[in-house]
Amino acid sequence: MTRYIGRRRFLAGASITAAAVLVTAGCGGTSATGETGDGQDTHDGTGEVQGDIVFAWWGGGARNEVTNAVADLFEEANPDVSVSRESADWGDYWDRLNVQASGGNMPCVTQTQARQLNDFASRNLLLPLDPMVESGAIDVSTIPDDVLDSGRGPDGELYMVPYGAAYDALMVNQTLAEETGAGVPPDGYDWEYFFDWLAEAQDDLPDDVAAANVGGGRPNYLIAYVQAHGEEMFADGQIGFPRELLVDFWTEWEELRESGVTNTADQWAEEPSASEQSYVAQGAVMADVQPGNYLTPAQDTMDGQDTGQQLVTVPLPSGPAGSGNVLITSGFSIPASCDNVSTAAAFVDFWINDDEGAEVFSSSNGAVTNADHLQQQIDNPELPELKRHELEVYEQIVGMSPPVIIYPPGYQATFEAAFTRAYEEIAFGRKSIEQAVDDFFAEANAGLG
Amino acid sequence: MSITDSTRARASTSDQATPSLSHRRRQRRRAPGEAVAGYLFLSPWLAGLLFLTIGPMVASLYLSFTDYDLLTAPRWVGFDNFAQLFSDPRWIASVGVTLTYVLFSVPGVLIVSLAVALALNKGFRLLSAYRAAYYLPSLLGSSVAIAILWRQVFGDQGAVNAVLDRIGIHMGSWIGSPDTALYTLIVLNIWTFGATMIIFLAGLRQIPTEYYQAAAVDGAGKIRQFRSITLPMLTPLIFFNILLTTVNAFQAFTPAYVISEGTGGPANSTLFYTLYLYEQGFTRLEMGYASAMAWVLVVALGIGTALLFASARYWVFYGDER
Repeated sequence: MTRYIGRRRFLAGASITAAAVLVTAGCGGTSATGETGDGQDTHDGTGEVQGDIVFAWWGGGARNEVTNAVADLFEEANPDVSVSRESADWGDYWDRLNVQASGGNMPCVTQTQARQLNDFASRNLLLPLDPMVESGAIDVSTIPDDVLDSGRGPDGELYMVPYGAAYDALMVNQTLAEETGAGVPPDGYDWEYFFDWLAEAQDDLPDDVAAANVGGGRPNYLIAYVQAHGEEMFADGQIGFPRELLVDFWTEWEELRESGVTNTADQWAEEPSASEQSYVAQGAVMADVQPGNYLTPAQDTMDGQDTGQQLVTVPLPSGPAGSGNVLITSGFSIPASCDNVSTAAAFVDFWINDDEGAEVFSSSNGAVTNADHLQQQIDNPELPELKRHELEVYEQIVGMSPPVIIYPPGYQATFEAAFTRAYEEIAFGRKSIEQAVDDFFAEANAGLG
Repeated sequence: MSITDSTRARASTSDQATPSLSHRRRQRRRAPGEAVAGYLFLSPWLAGLLFLTIGPMVASLYLSFTDYDLLTAPRWVGFDNFAQLFSDPRWIASVGVTLTYVLFSVPGVLIVSLAVALALNKGFRLLSAYRAAYYLPSLLGSSVAIAILWRQVFGDQGAVNAVLDRIGIHMGSWIGSPDTALYTLIVLNIWTFGATMIIFLAGLRQIPTEYYQAAAVDGAGKIRQFRSITLPMLTPLIFFNILLTTVNAFQAFTPAYVISEGTGGPANSTLFYTLYLYEQGFTRLEMGYASAMAWVLVVALGIGTALLFASARYWVFYGDER
């Protein structure tokens, strides 16, 4: 027998369903009200080392293993301390940290990075660490000054003790570069040489390989370009370099793209974000900017394709003002909400200075910043060759006294995102370079600080 | 029937009625206890409604009038967030992207799901296997694996381009180009038509076969039968499916998030409204602005839904109407 759905019953049911679905739309953007540190707290980090602390970091499986091993060593050395651990991958880590910060329960030892540090420091959520350094609770004497300064906020206070330094490098497919006769760029090469080198190599590359990945939308190239031209990335929380410099930068990249020296804009747009799957690791382009510590995983990808090609990293190009390379450091901060500061300080000190811990961690998150440990690792005959190369390039960059960039709050969320988007508008023919530069400056300056 | 019989019959009816009345009285007496039990059973849902839905919604409404970065206390700014929306080029872009997505994907889903439901509404071997197979994409549609699959299909070196290359057409990446990226997401949404199809299939099963037999006797062909019997009888379900598909399309998030890796790129071409809302709230920590965006979406959807309901009286045919 057939039964019909009555108008009233049907409309009532449909209304309830629609209402239920609708209300979910209204749930965006809610959260508990955040507590703010008063910013006046200071602590010299001395006192009893005991009790519980929470320690949080980002990373995948291998990183988690060595991080846990160091935390275990700290617990062995301090039997009265228990370290609760929280790890997450990069993206989730920051989302979770924001929520923890809003609830006033950031982990006592919070891993931070220079690019995000001031999102938290500017809101008085972190303790200044200088008093702990002065009291001797945290010994930073083995960290080069330029590297240590990357953990400072706009007010000059130290909010993060950097333990690992990453850098962006030019990753070059050495095999292809040598086949074209262009070779790997020599020490001290500059931007002009770099652009010419790419164009020259393109003529002799196979048809399906571009000399470079589209580079105009990569903030990492821009930072190196700005520094090499003697300009500042940021000044007073706003963009510090002149707009003409960005016009020149994008013009150079557009010439390369239009003449087929780079791959196409749509190929670039669909490139997977994981460095191991990047085009340079797959042999689809000859050169690209990549984090220096991705040489090993990228070579693994390359080896998996059985092409027999070899990757190598070199520092990014220099310019009239010298080297453009900057360091991107990761380190530890102690939040103002921490209730066991002395133990947190002891943990940070242990991480920076313990020989066994450094050996176990083995520069898993950028080159170790403790100069003694760096030398020990470079001298270690068992260190894999690519890892040694990574550490040596770091040493080379530190030797060039890299400039320290204080990233204003909102750097990653607004500056980087707006930069890439603005270049997309150019590369896809939606805006002129001049127009995109103006729009980018307006959007980024509105979002920074 | 004698009077006695009749009286006995009435008495008997009365006897039957008495327990029924006393039963109802007992029910009423038990009512307070039952009400408590009822509310107890309801309480998990009620608590969820109050604390997880209504509470956050009220908080969100308040936050939409504030400048709130999650880490410091909200600051009242009145209607500033709402006013700012209309001068924000990315908000305008996100509205455009979302409307395009809704306008193409809702009819697409309805037409494809109805067509497949019609094809499957016949008795043939392995019918359940076919139904399950067509439903499968609905289960996969929002998963991360789809991002990889879509790259394999619509990427520069993908399956679509491999086929086109064979016939001499050379296209770039469908996902990487802002001219085509949104349409790959529309295709993805249409591909996940399973749930809508199942509802249509259930509706088709409800239409009495006598109608078709009678129409056939009167000489109506298949097309005429579809237009005059199938479509009118299905209008309540078409209405229901339009409603759900539209509301879902306005709230689409995962496909764009997964395929553009949260950027809404290339060049804002897949910047869905909800993706931009998420970016403002959780990446830029502009919670007040994000709340304002959420409420604009709620109000717009509410108006759209009300209009749809109002239009229903003109085109939806219910079986109890004569």
